[in-house]
Amino acid sequence: MDSAKRKLALPHRILMEAEKPARYTGGELNSVMKEADLVKIRFCFCFPDVYEIGMSHLGMQILYGLMNSYEDVWCERVFSPWTDMDAIMRRENIPLFALESQDPVKDFDFLGFTLQYEMCYVNILQVLELSGMALYAKDRGEDDPIVIGGGPCTYNAEPIADFFDIFYIGEGEVSYRKLFDLYEEHKERGYKKADFLHEAAKLEGIYVPALYDIVYNEDKTIKSIEPKYDDIPRVVKKNVVKDLDASFYPTAPVVPFIQATQDRAVLEVMRGCIRGCRFCQAGQIYKPVRARNVDTLIRYAEELMENTGYEELSLSSLSTSDHPGLKELLERLINMCNEKKINISLPSLRIDAFSLDVMNKVQDVKKNSLTFAPEAGSQRMRNVINKGLTVENILNGAELAFKGGWNKVKLYFMIGLPGEEDEDVAAIAELSNEVAALYYDTVPKSERQGRVTITASSSFFVPKPFTAFQWAAMNTPEEFLRKAAHCKSKVREQLNQKSIVYHYHDASTTIIEGVLARGDRKLSAVIEEVYRKGGIFDAWTETFSYERWMKAFKDCGMDYGFYIYRERPEEEMFPWDIIDSGVTKKYLYREWMNSKAGTVTLNCRDKCAGCGAGTFMCGICLQPRGGAA
Amino acid sequence: MSVSVRFKFSRKGPVRYIGHLDMLRYFQKAVMRSGLPARYSEGFHPHQIMSFAYPLGVSMETEGDYMDLDLTEEIPEEEMLKRLNAVMNEGVSVSRATILKENAENAMALVAAADYRLSISEGADEAAAAVERIMSCKEILIDGGETKRGKKPKAPKDIRAGILDMRAEDGGYVFMRLLSGSAMNVRPADVFDKLNEAAGGKMYCDCICRLEIYAKKDDSLIPLSEADKRDA
Ligand code: SF4
Ligand code: SF4
Repeated sequence: MDSAKRKLALPHRILMEAEKPARYTGGELNSVMKEADLVKIRFCFCFPDVYEIGMSHLGMQILYGLMNSYEDVWCERVFSPWTDMDAIMRRENIPLFALESQDPVKDFDFLGFTLQYEMCYVNILQVLELSGMALYAKDRGEDDPIVIGGGPCTYNAEPIADFFDIFYIGEGEVSYRKLFDLYEEHKERGYKKADFLHEAAKLEGIYVPALYDIVYNEDKTIKSIEPKYDDIPRVVKKNVVKDLDASFYPTAPVVPFIQATQDRAVLEVMRGCIRGCRFCQAGQIYKPVRARNVDTLIRYAEELMENTGYEELSLSSLSTSDHPGLKELLERLINMCNEKKINISLPSLRIDAFSLDVMNKVQDVKKNSLTFAPEAGSQRMRNVINKGLTVENILNGAELAFKGGWNKVKLYFMIGLPGEEDEDVAAIAELSNEVAALYYDTVPKSERQGRVTITASSSFFVPKPFTAFQWAAMNTPEEFLRKAAHCKSKVREQLNQKSIVYHYHDASTTIIEGVLARGDRKLSAVIEEVYRKGGIFDAWTETFSYERWMKAFKDCGMDYGFYIYRERPEEEMFPWDIIDSGVTKKYLYREWMNSKAGTVTLNCRDKCAGCGAGTFMCGICLQPRGGAA
Repeated sequence: MSVSVRFKFSRKGPVRYIGHLDMLRYFQKAVMRSGLPARYSEGFHPHQIMSFAYPLGVSMETEGDYMDLDLTEEIPEEEMLKRLNAVMNEGVSVSRATILKENAENAMALVAAADYRLSISEGADEAAAAVERIMSCKEILIDGGETKRGKKPKAPKDIRAGILDMRAEDGGYVFMRLLSGSAMNVRPADVFDKLNEAAGGKMYCDCICRLEIYAKKDDSLIPLSEADKRDA
């Protein structure tokens, strides 16, 4: 096809009304065109946020590339139209369309949402409505696309369960082929949506929410989750890629014309994390940790550069420092990238002599800041959350860095952690001060390049499903703000307060995120109400409205405090108990108790904590080391 | 060594909706993929020495825009075109590569005039008469342009002398040759607004395509690809 003549869904006049028309025109490098008549399945992949955010997401690139590698499937993309285009499309009655073919989303076989954060839930409704589809799965017809959700939020997608036909639990590389085969089989022998969904529910990792009844206790907690049929599983086990080196990697990702949030090639070096920080959901749901082989990674890096032309390569994983072959990988990458004039960016490296040496080679020390994520100010709290970073680690790292010429340090903390006292909050200020003081002790006056800048940021803690803190109560906005103010005033009391900048996040967004994170199916009415009252792009401060949410809770007769302000008892059944992430509830509860006792648990490499993910029989769980598997 | 090359390129179709900076980033990546031996600036984050003759506005097509690039070694012109075109994507291509003489002037400073073809999707019947009306005017005033806040609005500008040529063409097109550059810079959209005014607001232009960019040599206009060419 002569792609320069590819038709556009939006006429010139309308494109010129948009702030960034290229968000809607497609045709980017490595985007895939196929003949619609020659494929059996058309899959529309949606990231329910603005184009630049969605295009920065590796998961989307993986599934896009994987699905398009199937000859019988054409995967296309769609994003949430930004507020300007949203208004235009409603005004002009233009149905939402996919970027590649520019065909209406409603004509596809599947509409797949990646659910990366709770604050995009209202945008799912926006996309459904702009596509001309009913919001609730039960109201959609045989001809409507199957609406499927994947990504981290599916570990408790109950608040949006009524809007979806299917949730795909776990890593996308595993079961999509089986799902497509099943769909094609049903299409050939006379397709009925209900029959297809029933069969799909038997596949590994496929959760069809409508096929489960939720039975509640009088106190609003869940009594049981009952499958409607005997032949579908009582719990849905997540999909895990057992051999990362053998699985698909998108070495020819779509390269946006307009500048995406991540304007670089991404090399995923490892999946999962060995460290069981107790607040961290990613650390649990991506278990067990699986590292890619260095040779594989070098090959991917070469292909990525050749296929994209990016001038920057970013290593990605939850904790890159834990990659067993990191030294060799970096040596080889640095050689390769120097030759090709490509920058390397290394987020999530722990600061030590080795990483500083590497960063010295790949970054401009003067311009870059050093990042530490102690997450809590006091050692007591760091034990509570199982963050194995000590003051010595931080100060040693900072000292080396100061000697190496760095003079900007960023420190990330959380406020509102379980068991937190005011003195733990004050410790944030004290630690910041210590780091600043260290600079003046380490660097002689004559060598100082101006003042050291310590930027301390705190976010407010949200307990998430599948973490040790899933039982914990959240702070109220008043408590959050009082603690943040306390921290701020403590910063002002420090000797080096002029070198410390303190920021804290928005407390109201945190509350909504908290409700949605551990909510149940009753919340769908509230989400719909917020959307009906104009709520879209909640992840953006300029469009988020706390009042709109508060009013919706009230109008729907919902007590949102039920979801966030109570500490849950051990035996309580959770909405997300329908999902088996591998990590057992028993292990998580043990960790909750360890947290209360301030006991530290070792990481997977030092000693297996018996979390349950060993049943996947892959990654670190199979490697010999101390402790019981 | 360093050798400067001037590439003539076109962009057509949906890709016209990207902005000037995105076009720059697009070409940087294309050069990377092509394996052309680009010369890089010094410093911690070296970048390609690349510049454009004339920013391409969002939605404008082109058949004759120019991008200058420094290379570290000389490559035959045909070879350069082949390598770049092999890695282009929908709607963008390079049609000429010219090796420039040493100390060639920067393309942007050379720009003196440009040709445009406007697609008139509505009211094309009015075009011929409107062109005649405008061309017979002695003076064509347009707004002086945006002013900084708090300052007096700029005085209207007379652009008549900047319209070197204009004619309606078959198939619903209007051709224009307009002065560009520091002395007088006439934008095709402004001229179209005047045409449309003359046609009673019945016309709609859904695409402006730049056909060629010229430099001034002695008293005549020559395409930028001919300016500062290295002697064969
Ligand atoms: S190091 Fe801790 S916070 Fe980071 S990904 Fe691993 S478990 Fe989560
Ligand atoms: S089973 Fe052991 S080694 Fe495997 S992920 Fe769990 S704690 Fe880590």
